[in-house]
Amino acid sequence: MLGEFEYLLIAAAIRLGEHAYGAAIREELQTTTGRSCSIGALYTTLERLENKGFVKTWMGEPTPQRGGRPKRMVHVTANGVQAAKDFYEAITSVSRGIGWAANRVGSLP
Amino acid sequence: MGSQLANAFLNLISRLLEPREREVILGDLTEAGESAFRSSLAVIGLVARRQVGLWKNWRPWLAAFGLALPGSLLLMGFSVSVSRAYQQYLDLDVVRASGFHLGVGFVLLLCNLFLLAAWSWTGGFVSGAISRRTLWVTAAFSFVPCVFCLERFRIESLSRLCLLLFLPAAVWGVSSGLRLVRLRPSRALALAITVTALTIPLWPQKGAWLPNWALSWPVWYLVATARRTA
Repeated sequence: MLGEFEYLLIAAAIRLGEHAYGAAIREELQTTTGRSCSIGALYTTLERLENKGFVKTWMGEPTPQRGGRPKRMVHVTANGVQAAKDFYEAITSVSRGIGWAANRVGSLP
Repeated sequence: MGSQLANAFLNLISRLLEPREREVILGDLTEAGESAFRSSLAVIGLVARRQVGLWKNWRPWLAAFGLALPGSLLLMGFSVSVSRAYQQYLDLDVVRASGFHLGVGFVLLLCNLFLLAAWSWTGGFVSGAISRRTLWVTAAFSFVPCVFCLERFRIESLSRLCLLLFLPAAVWGVSSGLRLVRLRPSRALALAITVTALTIPLWPQKGAWLPNWALSWPVWYLVATARRTA
């Protein structure tokens, strides 16, 4: 079972698709959740997800915008997608009937 | 001036990261437009998280508290014991004694020297192999007892450096452990049996089993790991 931040990271990486890399995922997380995301949390979680086989990472091309330094590109594996689905289903199931979630997940099967 | 200092600090602190990761992290921070001060905090945070993560494993704890700390203390004691045995062997009064006693003394000295080298090498090897990324902590746990004993060394007839007789073999062992040099199972087993056999004369001594096994378990660890990777 994924942790909350692991789920957020996988979801952000899937939304970014081919453009998923460290800085972009961090920005996506901050924009969508409104929470700050530290580099430390991002990369230690990414490493943990890679060890679990939920993501694959590789070194991307350096860009001038980054001072000529490379990106760490991220791809969510099939196992990662399945783990994220399981997490989402568990959250929606356990939230059913609860006041704050009624309007959002009440209609889900 | 302040900005230059902050950048210099960031460069320094980022050296705690592995080279490839350092480039990626600094690139991310540059892209995000973070200041050198905030970037330094981010890098410190990452390094701290990495270290905490490493210490969630049992290996660094074993290397620090099961090997480095007790091992360095015991090996310093044994180094002094071997040095004194060597000193007595060279003593002219002893030389004048019978050849039989000299022979036994020489063999005992050789056995103890071998034991010291084997314990030091295997202890260093296992420390290096199981605590690669926390080696600096393991080294500190060895260094502190060494400084403590060097400071309190009071045997006038011996040099303080005798305490560190174990060090060359231990450093060699650490270096081999870091390179993950693998011994053949037969060689590891032969070494373990030899080391254990050499400790047999000490078994009847009350209380000797604890330091013996504290120093001997790494050689059996080598046997176990050699067997696994064979």
